[in-house]
Amino acid sequence: MSVKIFIVDDDESVCRAIKTLLMTYDFDVRTFNSAQSFFDAISPDQPGCLLLDIHMSGPDGWEVQKQIFASGSTRPVIFISAEKKDDATDRALKAGAVGFLQKPVNGQTLVDLINTTSKS
Amino acid sequence: MKKKLNIKSNILKVKKPLVKKITRNNLEEKVLQQTDELRIREGQLKQGANRERLSANREKLGADREKIAEEQIHIQNKAMEATSDGIFIIDTQRPNFPIVYANPSFFALTGYSKSEIIGKSYFQIYGADRNLRVSQEIEQTLRQGKSFHGEMLNFRKNGKKYWCLLRIAPIRNATGVVTHFVGTKTDTTLMKQRDLEIEEQREELLHVTRVGKLAEFVSSLAHEISQPLTAILSYAQAAQRLLKEKDPQVREILQYIINDDQRAAEVIRRLRSLLKKNKPSFETLDINEVTNDTVTLIMAHITAKNKVIKLDLGSNLPLIQGDRIQLQQVLLNLISNSLEAMEENPASHNLFVKTSLKNDTILVQVKDSGCGIPQENMKKLFAHFFTSKPDGLGMGLSISRSIVEAHDGHLEASNNPKGGATFYFTIPVNRKND
Repeated sequence: MSVKIFIVDDDESVCRAIKTLLMTYDFDVRTFNSAQSFFDAISPDQPGCLLLDIHMSGPDGWEVQKQIFASGSTRPVIFISAEKKDDATDRALKAGAVGFLQKPVNGQTLVDLINTTSKS
Repeated sequence: MKKKLNIKSNILKVKKPLVKKITRNNLEEKVLQQTDELRIREGQLKQGANRERLSANREKLGADREKIAEEQIHIQNKAMEATSDGIFIIDTQRPNFPIVYANPSFFALTGYSKSEIIGKSYFQIYGADRNLRVSQEIEQTLRQGKSFHGEMLNFRKNGKKYWCLLRIAPIRNATGVVTHFVGTKTDTTLMKQRDLEIEEQREELLHVTRVGKLAEFVSSLAHEISQPLTAILSYAQAAQRLLKEKDPQVREILQYIINDDQRAAEVIRRLRSLLKKNKPSFETLDINEVTNDTVTLIMAHITAKNKVIKLDLGSNLPLIQGDRIQLQQVLLNLISNSLEAMEENPASHNLFVKTSLKNDTILVQVKDSGCGIPQENMKKLFAHFFTSKPDGLGMGLSISRSIVEAHDGHLEASNNPKGGATFYFTIPVNRKND
């Protein structure tokens, strides 16, 4: 069974492109254009790694991660953002995320990070 | 000696028979006659005395008047000596227009001594440092008998600069001919300096605002460009993987796309780090002080636009923690926006800025009587790149909001019931000082 990946990014083209790329690595990918549509469709206990954009209208990535963490879900989260502040990786790890990648994301780097989460 | 004595005796001789001639019969007549004479004489004497008294009075009055006039001149002279304005008098009846009087302040202001000024042509006293254009203009004006008014940069004898407000007015004689000029020099250096300082501060703040806008602009732009670059990279890498070992030429082309995508991303990364915003420096602030300072900076602008700003600053407001420059930026932005909103409506003059305490926060309101905010714009008002102005960048309000939020506050807007809009923000009070 292939590893499940959820992408939440309000940019449709980014969703589609990363999905296309990850599918070449045989991941099972679903995309969402808002945090709300993700929460509506996927229950917290459903396994899968979440690729989460930070800058979104509505609740931003940090807010979404907080909700996931607060709900007791163990879902691995990888932040993907165009802007990378100096403390972003630290902040991401402290928030319980697996990592922080800056856009544009190199495919192999992303896949390596996903693979470490699914092994652990 | 003998001769003289003879004469004397002769006189005596003449008088004696006259007395002897007076008889009893005409005695009464004589008495009456003499009484009349005496009466006339008395009347004449009385008249004479009156006249004398009158003229004495007149003389006294004249002396009093003279004394008063002297006193007046004395006071006027003293006043000329006492005033801090430099005063001088030019004689126009001599061709070189010499200065015939200058008060002590004039010497103090110009740094020249009395002997260097009095009797010298007014047009020559400023030496080589003078502004040729201005002094020529003054000379032309005075030679035409007209008055002059102007503010200019002058030099003291020691070369030190000072700003001076110069007014020269003609003095005419009874026939209307200009005989003299009286000039007043006021040292406006301090006022000018204050004006310049305000202008500099305003420029500095505008510069900070512009740099802030640029940084925010680049940041937003970088975000917008990073998205397609992300998509392009992912698509290209996906295509490369799908091709596997097939079609090495297309794989090579895809590699070029990937390389250039990463190059573009690197440019953006560098640009971003170049314009990394300075961290705000927080200090304890009095919001009224910040408001007053900001209004001072934009006052000239408000007056030039023929608008009136009314401040209603709450008393005894608690202090806040904040970045002075950033909060000034927010206020300046809100006030400028209000002025622009009011520009289209010449009937609206008043702009209100109010500070008050509301539930543990300082509330700052900027209320205008302008065109208000169309309902459809309300939601987008604080978004990056949203603007209703033809030459606007759409960054002002979004930056203002991010500044206020960095202070743990909120920036909102609403339309007033009677027209115009109010922008208001809150900043939590400094609990350490409670």
